[in-house]
Amino acid sequence: MANISLAVAASHAPGLIGMFDQAPEASRKMVASAYGSLTRQIREAELDVILMVANDHMANNRIREYPDFVVGMAPEHRGPAEFFKDWLGCGEYVLPGRPDIAEKILNGLNRRGVPVSATRENLNFDDNISVPVVKTGIEASGVPIIPILQNVTVPPFPDQHRCYEIGRQLADLIENDLPSDLRVGLFATGGMSHEPGGVRDFWIDEDFDNWFLGLLGNGSHEKVLSEVTLERLDRAGIGGTGELLSWILVMGAIGERPCDVLGYTAWDKWRCGIGAVSWDMTPAPAGR
Amino acid sequence: MSLENIDRALVSHDLVQDLKWNAGLREEFVKDEAAVLDRYALTAAERTAIEERDFRTLYDLGFHPYLGAQFARILFANNTSGATGAVQRLLASIRREPDPGRTEASGA
Repeated sequence: MANISLAVAASHAPGLIGMFDQAPEASRKMVASAYGSLTRQIREAELDVILMVANDHMANNRIREYPDFVVGMAPEHRGPAEFFKDWLGCGEYVLPGRPDIAEKILNGLNRRGVPVSATRENLNFDDNISVPVVKTGIEASGVPIIPILQNVTVPPFPDQHRCYEIGRQLADLIENDLPSDLRVGLFATGGMSHEPGGVRDFWIDEDFDNWFLGLLGNGSHEKVLSEVTLERLDRAGIGGTGELLSWILVMGAIGERPCDVLGYTAWDKWRCGIGAVSWDMTPAPAGR
Repeated sequence: MSLENIDRALVSHDLVQDLKWNAGLREEFVKDEAAVLDRYALTAAERTAIEERDFRTLYDLGFHPYLGAQFARILFANNTSGATGAVQRLLASIRREPDPGRTEASGA
């Protein structure tokens, strides 16, 4: 029986790499502290693989043929994609993949009624994968990753209830389909509030972000599912804040557990609220 | 500006995706924009909006804002870190405000 040994979530924003040094000191300190904590946790968890649940910003598919989920089955994952390299201010990275595990995720989720596509080609990565990889030193850790890119920008896409349920199916798959004693990390990356390319771009809804982190800290998943609706996400930024659905998917996979909020900051030129959390994976989840 | 109103069939989406995925096409677009636009079955309204950097009209036609931010970086030659200049020009267009000009875009 494979184990989920780590579950974390953090924002990505291109400016976290290329514009990091220009940010106010308090924002830089928070990011260094929170992502530094994630770096340590990834090292200490002795993971065999990280499933990175990230948002696809229309980097891999045309808008009229948009899958809800794409799993990366490549033996190596190279990034960032050419168009995004200068924009991110990011060097190139190469991460080992786990095609064997990725195939089981593809088949296991589809058998459980979750339509998932996959590719053996290298996916195009922008800030979705590049920022968490660079900020948490995953390349140096040597831990393989499997990207699971999620549609949260081209309607219709799965809402909070469906994402949570898909997370539960992913947990069942990890428990029953993956090799025994495999140590799996779950890393949700996306959000927080922002409206990329929209009329409120550069605006960050700090009240929403702090409210959301408070909900996670308080630990009631029922409350998250009843209150963090697609409509509420849109009010905090259309096309961007919905990226938090990746966090909700991971919450479904781990069940209710204590959640440590590692920090939050908002600097308008990052164009996105920046927060990070880590769930305590030591105790058994409630109700299981 | 709800995402429910995007037009998945809009040809401009294909143009932007191709420009993102093909560096050679992007170079060609910078050198001879009209020649590249000629290859796409854009409606007259789409083409004019692109030529005039009129994102408001493009959005009203059903263009996805996420691709709008990416297209702005191509149109305003501002694909460096953060690219705030490109986004400010896009914002001015969709808010119908004066174009902040190319100064910040080229210097960002």
